[in-house]
Amino acid sequence: MAYVATRGGERAIEQSQRLFKAEMGAITPERVAELRAALPYLIDRVMGEASLYDEDLAALALAQTGGEMYEAALLLRAWRTTQPRLQVAQPVTQDALFTHRRISAAFKDIPGGQVLGPTLDYSHRILATEVLTGDTHTPAPVEPAAKPSPARQPSVAAWQAENGLLDPAVPDQTLGNDIPDVTREPLLFPAKRAHTLQSLARAETGGALALGYAAQRGYGQAHPTVNELRLAEAEIVVEHPRGTRFSAGRVKISQAEVVDKKGAGLRLGFSATMGWNEVKVIAAATLDLNAPGAPKGAPTEEEFFLYHTEGVEASGFCIHFKLPHYVTFQSSLDAMRDAKAKAAAQQAQPAEADATEHPTTEPAQ
Amino acid sequence: MTLASLTRDWEPMAYGFLDASAKREIRRKTLKAISVPGCQMPYASREVPMARGWGTGGLQVSCTLINPTTRIKVIDQGADDSVNAASIRRFLARVSGAPTTTDTLEADLIQSRHRIPEERLREDQVLVLQVPNPEPLRPVQPNMSIARQMHADADYGRMWLQLYEQIVRAGRVMQGASYPSLVNGRFVMTPSPIPRWDVPKLHMAKHLTLLSAGREKRLHAVPPFTKVEPLVFDDVPYKVEEHAHLMCHRSGLKGFFMNEIPQADGTSIHEVSDSDLGVKAIHRTEGAPVEIGATWYENGEMGQ
Amino acid sequence: MQTAPVPSDFETRTNATYDALMWALSRPGLIRDLPAPGVEGVIDALIDRECAVHAGTPDLCAYAAQTGAAIVPLAKADHVILPDAQTPAMLRDLRQGSDMHPEDGATLILIATLGTGQALRLTGPGVDGHIDVRVDGLTDGFWQMRRDVMRYPMGFEIFLIDGSRVMGLPRSTTVEVL
Repeated sequence: MAYVATRGGERAIEQSQRLFKAEMGAITPERVAELRAALPYLIDRVMGEASLYDEDLAALALAQTGGEMYEAALLLRAWRTTQPRLQVAQPVTQDALFTHRRISAAFKDIPGGQVLGPTLDYSHRILATEVLTGDTHTPAPVEPAAKPSPARQPSVAAWQAENGLLDPAVPDQTLGNDIPDVTREPLLFPAKRAHTLQSLARAETGGALALGYAAQRGYGQAHPTVNELRLAEAEIVVEHPRGTRFSAGRVKISQAEVVDKKGAGLRLGFSATMGWNEVKVIAAATLDLNAPGAPKGAPTEEEFFLYHTEGVEASGFCIHFKLPHYVTFQSSLDAMRDAKAKAAAQQAQPAEADATEHPTTEPAQ
Repeated sequence: MTLASLTRDWEPMAYGFLDASAKREIRRKTLKAISVPGCQMPYASREVPMARGWGTGGLQVSCTLINPTTRIKVIDQGADDSVNAASIRRFLARVSGAPTTTDTLEADLIQSRHRIPEERLREDQVLVLQVPNPEPLRPVQPNMSIARQMHADADYGRMWLQLYEQIVRAGRVMQGASYPSLVNGRFVMTPSPIPRWDVPKLHMAKHLTLLSAGREKRLHAVPPFTKVEPLVFDDVPYKVEEHAHLMCHRSGLKGFFMNEIPQADGTSIHEVSDSDLGVKAIHRTEGAPVEIGATWYENGEMGQ
Repeated sequence: MQTAPVPSDFETRTNATYDALMWALSRPGLIRDLPAPGVEGVIDALIDRECAVHAGTPDLCAYAAQTGAAIVPLAKADHVILPDAQTPAMLRDLRQGSDMHPEDGATLILIATLGTGQALRLTGPGVDGHIDVRVDGLTDGFWQMRRDVMRYPMGFEIFLIDGSRVMGLPRSTTVEVL
């Protein structure tokens, strides 16, 4: 028999997976623990894009995919799909965040103070090559400040609103299951506010950066000032069936407020995500700031940036072009060959061809 | 109040992968899609353990329909043995325990990418087509909100204009696969990237066709006995690929959609794209008792 | 390879119910069998906390509410479940969606008697030519009102439930009273 039905394909995919996994060797609990400890910012990025906060699962996803970030995010999101929704936590307010880092570019100093926190911003980017020749690079110990900065601070926007510089955001009172959830309902436009913020929180970092950067370079109308960037931990407060509220733990979050200063007052753009990912929230807040009134098809239009920063969808579609497309290709070749033949025939007999090719605009009924 | 009354037994994975609420949403949207043929219904589209763009939309519909007695067939480019078809078939069988088949006649549910089998589907069969881009208007309007408004207004003028321009420029409509088609006289839909050869198989068919785009989160349907008319002008008739005269070098079949296989000497040979039809034809030649069903095309011509 | 997964009774029942509903709408006028009599199975298959339901009896209200669905007035409901059609005027209040979002049209689930009563001729998608059916238990003027209030592609779907039998009428079906 000339055809080998089904068996060939199944063997091929099985072996190709083995080949991929063989390069990485055994995945041990130790490897997962080491990834979690050594790469917190990568873990954060994956958790944010997966919209699933679990450092162990994120480390496992990275171990299982060999650090293929898109695969890791997909793996976590697919796992997330299978999980029951036990509770919707209470809303997190900015002034209740346990703050590690909080800076504002808008003022020299802000109520509560500029808190530099953990950052590489002012580091000199020099590779510690001595590690490769056998030395251990041990970070110098942190010297605690004489006076610790307050753990909880209001937002800079709150001060601006108090001073009439900014229209205060009206808190959305929707709670619990009534909050629109972009993972449980389709994203339609104009998007619900919750959907926009959720989509930006799940956005792929590189995608958000590319479009946010385009907006910052001038493809957007608003030029952002970082009003406040904050890295913090948020309490996850849930309700016991008997009514008691309690904290189920803390998650790392990052959030950015950016403002535009062109109008009569300041205008705010906002983004927050799980995990610490400054680049993403600044870029995403820039997009949020630029969205109102953006022309259709501009990178700052909500539909444009929400669709195109969705990393799992974008990467999936991009790699789907590897799939066989020989049927569609054949279909196009057929049209192309026929058009060529027609053109050749027309060249041979120009007068006759002219008479046969006269379509009308009337559609067939 | 007890904890047991508030929770259900934990399952490592729901039957058919999707949880009950995901299935209910797809059920509700599918019912609406069937009721407004060709109209794209938005749905949440859960993330499934397969990359977006690889059949996740079809997969979610199949996962919703499947039960342990559903006999499933999965094809990609017409072939059961394509790696992606094998992967999806294995996943569906694994999460449902459903039996699989390669025989179109035996299947209850056929999930397909880019082809409709050559054997006629019956009125008890469901065809699930994977859809990369559900929006036929995208070439003329990439913005989904505007395109949706155009559907609402049945504003297909730019679509017609595009086809007209192709005819003026190239002497024919250059659309290869995904030929835009008017469903039930109201909505222009994409039939998914099936070749033009396959589009007439949807017109007044006996089976139910569900078209699902997981990445784009849209689902549309062609119920049985529903008009599906490719957009054509009165004087430039719809043309399927000129495959009627080609012969499969393996099975000897003629008059079906073929894969072209380029040869080192500059020529091409062909093999039938519907791989199981090819297998059955070979078996029959070898004298095995094989049932080949009635085909849509007879002697290379679409039958009634 | 893991052992083959086994569906729960709930999964088996809702899967079979949905299969009947899907084919009922795909082939209007052809009666399908539900795995169990009554509308409760339909509620289990379709309704949850993402839905807004209007139900005609306290029992049905309670049953729909335990799925987590919001109980709302008829005009706001995406699923309307009634023991009878009361007056045909209620059809006027049903959600029909919009041109942009025809999917927002309601699903109306009614108790009726199939096979006797008013003779109807159905045409449209899913119907091979035409099909004649008989439906009893609906108020006078029901079909006339259905025709008058719907503007395709806006509209609503109807499931007529008679014990464990169901007939579907999508908005695309033209109903002619014979």
